[in-house]
Amino acid sequence: MEKKKNSVMNIVCIILPVIAVLCIAIGWIAFSTANPRLMPGPVEVFQRFIRTFTNPVARVILPGHIWASLRRVLIGLIFAWIIGIGLGVLVGWNKKVRAVLGSVLELLRPIPPIAWIPLVIMWFGIGEFSKVFIVFIGTIFGLIVNTSAGIKLVDKINIDVGKIFGGNQRQILTEIVVPTALPSIFAGIRTSVSSGWTTVVAAEMLGAKAGLGSLVTKGWQGNDMALVLVAVISIAAIGALLSVLLSKLEKVVCPWNQI
Amino acid sequence: MERDNREVKVRTENLTKQFGDLLVLDNISFDVKKNEFLCVVGPTGCGKTTFLNCLTKIYTPSKGEIYIDGEPADPKRHNISFVFQEPSAFPWLTVRENLEFGLGVKKVDKKEIKSRVDKILDLMGLKDVENAYPRELSVSVEQRIIIGRSFVMQPDLLLMDEPYGQMDIKMRFYLEDEVIRLWKELGSTVIFITHNIEEAVYLAERVLILTNKPTTVKESLKIDLPHPRNIADPKFIQYRNYITEAIKWW
Ligand SMILES: Nc1ncnc2c1ncn2[C@@H]1O[C@H](COP(=O)(O)OP(=O)(O)OP(=O)(O)O)[C@@H](O)[C@H]1O
Ligand SMILES: [Mg+2]
Repeated sequence: MEKKKNSVMNIVCIILPVIAVLCIAIGWIAFSTANPRLMPGPVEVFQRFIRTFTNPVARVILPGHIWASLRRVLIGLIFAWIIGIGLGVLVGWNKKVRAVLGSVLELLRPIPPIAWIPLVIMWFGIGEFSKVFIVFIGTIFGLIVNTSAGIKLVDKINIDVGKIFGGNQRQILTEIVVPTALPSIFAGIRTSVSSGWTTVVAAEMLGAKAGLGSLVTKGWQGNDMALVLVAVISIAAIGALLSVLLSKLEKVVCPWNQI
Repeated sequence: MERDNREVKVRTENLTKQFGDLLVLDNISFDVKKNEFLCVVGPTGCGKTTFLNCLTKIYTPSKGEIYIDGEPADPKRHNISFVFQEPSAFPWLTVRENLEFGLGVKKVDKKEIKSRVDKILDLMGLKDVENAYPRELSVSVEQRIIIGRSFVMQPDLLLMDEPYGQMDIKMRFYLEDEVIRLWKELGSTVIFITHNIEEAVYLAERVLILTNKPTTVKESLKIDLPHPRNIADPKFIQYRNYITEAIKWW
């Protein structure tokens, strides 16, 4: 009985996402056939997709634009991860650091990543550094807060076990506190990837030679809706891909959390 | 009572512990001898766990001092193992890694770690689940991990806080014999807290009976029976009944 229920649930869980995607596709086709001026249909978008290779936008083919965006996100994120997680551990573990940084963080964290864009452009112009820095500043506060929250989750009894085995502060931090926090750190990383990705696209829309955001703007300004859709679908696909990669990585890094 | 000429391992001097207004341990003094097996029994909430926490510096005594080998107790200096009352296996480590943990902290040689852990995995019947995570296992198996994690340290001073409370009776009997074996083999000093009076009489060379809060030592009773003991032995039953009465009538 229990087993039967489970297998029914499994089938439902496989079918539902397929149905959801189908619904969107059908809605798209229906809407585009009814309003061909407002919305190009799938066939047209696919043809536009092919043309991004034969007839590159701004002399860059689609993968080049994807890579331009991806590179900015990755560089920004790597710095944000290293510094954000490091600071988060300090804030969570050390009362003095928390006293100094805690209230600053509370102030800065609610600022939506996109709100940093105008500020950063005013400070550093519209070049490559700005775009990377926007990703960095837009994601670091969330990382710090998630990490420090995870650090604070540590079970006192586990620290006691470490102390009784004669562990020093460093051993307790790296071998007990940080592993406890890993799932929260990963939650922070996951959020940072999606908000970093959104932010970079938004920043590119304001001005960039290459990048998926710049494709959106070019399509928009050139009244080329199909190009906009090619860019939007690429943005969604890369976002989904990053999130799948991250959950795979999480399974490797925190296997105990999957049980 | 017979004299015990062994050296003193743990000396508790005028130990007092208060939590705010709540006086838990009230000026307690007693010694534990080297290589002694001491069981501590007492009513629920009388401060047994609190005593062990003072011994391991998890709590600071309000007054008094505990010495190990004549020095103030310090887990950094003394080779102590503690089996907590609550489940305390590390959820992010596999069973094997949990057992390796303390040895890693003490920087024991890799080969030595492997051979000791292999032996304990066998002893605790954990061989089949060595690569599982504690969350996948039952509470009683988790408790075996914690006991194994303590045994593998070959501690000088083994503290056990109702370690077998979660076990079924068969496992309990088996582990009672194992702790006796370990104690004899290593010459460790064992302080074993239990609610189960039969267990106390089965294991202990001496039973320390505590009163209700504010807690003092009501009696220190030597169990004068050779190991292994027979729970059906009339003398055994006599001890058991005596302690049961002693806890009932404060
Ligand atoms: N950290 C603490 N803060 C305040 N009160 C505490 C604390 N730890 C223990 N107590 C109190 O001290 C008393 C003794 O607690 P303890 O856990 O030592 O008892 P115990 O003898 O181990 O009980 P049990 O048989 O239930 O294990 C209890 O009344 C408890 O509420
Ligand atoms: Mg207790």
